Amino acid sequence: MSKISRRTFTGIAAASVATLSMPSISLGALPRVVVIGGGAGGATAARYIAKDSKGGVHVTLVEASKRYYTCFFSNLYLGGFRNYGSIGHNYYGLAVNRGVNVVHEWAVSVDSAAKKVNLGSGNSISYDKLVISPGIDLKYDTINGYSAEAQTHMPHAWKSGTQVQLLRNQVMNMKQGGTFVMVPPPNPYRCPPGPYERVSMIAHQFKKSNPTAKIVVLDPKNKFSKQGLFMEGWQRHYPGMIEWIDADTHGGLKNVNASKMEFETDLDTFKADAACVVPAQKAGAIAMAAGVNNGDWCPIVPASMQSQADENIYVLGDASVAKSMPKSGFSANSQAKVAANHIRGALTGSKVFDARYSNTCWSLVATNDGIKVGASYAAGSEAIDVTSKFVSKTGEDSALRKATYEESIGWYEGITTDMFS
Amino acid sequence: MKIFSFLIFFLISFCKFSFADEQQIISMGDIEFGEYLGAECAACHHQAGISKGIPAINGMDAEVFVALMLAYRSKEMENPVMQMIAGRLDDEQIGSLALYFSKLDPPK
Repeated sequence: MSKISRRTFTGIAAASVATLSMPSISLGALPRVVVIGGGAGGATAARYIAKDSKGGVHVTLVEASKRYYTCFFSNLYLGGFRNYGSIGHNYYGLAVNRGVNVVHEWAVSVDSAAKKVNLGSGNSISYDKLVISPGIDLKYDTINGYSAEAQTHMPHAWKSGTQVQLLRNQVMNMKQGGTFVMVPPPNPYRCPPGPYERVSMIAHQFKKSNPTAKIVVLDPKNKFSKQGLFMEGWQRHYPGMIEWIDADTHGGLKNVNASKMEFETDLDTFKADAACVVPAQKAGAIAMAAGVNNGDWCPIVPASMQSQADENIYVLGDASVAKSMPKSGFSANSQAKVAANHIRGALTGSKVFDARYSNTCWSLVATNDGIKVGASYAAGSEAIDVTSKFVSKTGEDSALRKATYEESIGWYEGITTDMFS
Repeated sequence: MKIFSFLIFFLISFCKFSFADEQQIISMGDIEFGEYLGAECAACHHQAGISKGIPAINGMDAEVFVALMLAYRSKEMENPVMQMIAGRLDDEQIGSLALYFSKLDPPK
């Protein structure tokens, strides 16, 4: 475990003061990295650049929230397997252990010619290299009748935080024997198995507290991640409770009415007592403001995660076009390490190793019934390419499924330590 | 650690590799390369060495580390994640990781 020397710490402290009082003035010797977004991509990038440069790079993390609630495992909170506090994390470790200058503000624009990030307060921060890891924004208007206002009746709960608490409350308070409607998003979206793990976790909760409840899934797709595994699990653990209706069958969601809790499709109009609606998604707004997007997402150079639009900007995680790599916390964490190695090499001359990426997504179907899918990747000339992959199998024995669930708990502890400590 | 004792026993009993092979692989290793490659391991294996669902690997004996990775690479040991990770590591990379993790503080 590296410790920051007194000399380095003084340097960082001085740099931090300078950042606040003279935001646009160069600090001289130390190269400067600014990271926008403190999630799986940004927090990991900030941590690795600071840790591995051992004080040789000044790292500023811009993140509006003082406490970060992970999207991964928020479904386990919905199912009653985790308490809300257990998925919350702060930035103490990055600031104190790693010397990262943590700024709790919104980044509102990027001046890429002047290499400055402008903050909501009116201050700005200069960078030599910028990392943008903003996660997703929701495209509310892709569903007729859905909006930022409607999300209070039909939470998306797709960015963790208060929305997930609201959804949990609505699940717990739904009338006995009522109908819950789940609308998953169209591809591409954050966490491909997430909507179906969510259905599983809500079914698990209903089985305990509302056993005659029904769940209707109005999917804009005709197939989904780990479909055979989820459907086997739904049949085994929640027989008769879940009805998954594919796009060809319902013909598309024409309209939602949040005050009446109705969903209009070609097939029928469905009335819900509680609902979760997850609309289509796009890269977080700061990526658009920085001009590193092409349409909804940000193309990257596969070998480094540099933006194709600007070699001094790196885009990580959900916001990037990583092609075969799913939009997941694990992917973002993996991409951050490649970018961190590349940035450190560019700024300090440290050795740059070949990019290697990996991802695993665990999902919980029921108590002690965990499944997983994963792959490893390498940088091709055009895209990040799959080198090998695996997925859990239907019909696995309960001991293996329990071990897979326990593995996911170990992973949660591991990755959150790898992001925040 | 009970699980490590079992693994070592398992490997000594069944593994076809001799320790000479492991030492040869360790001698190919580069610790800086191991630190970079080891970041991939840190996504799951807790860096303070907490062993909960996933075993701690900090401070692991380098020869045991190599023997385990060879067993995953040849699919003699099960776990699809580890078979995938080990499956794309060559001997130099395994040796580098073994060197790096053997120098970290073991779990307290």
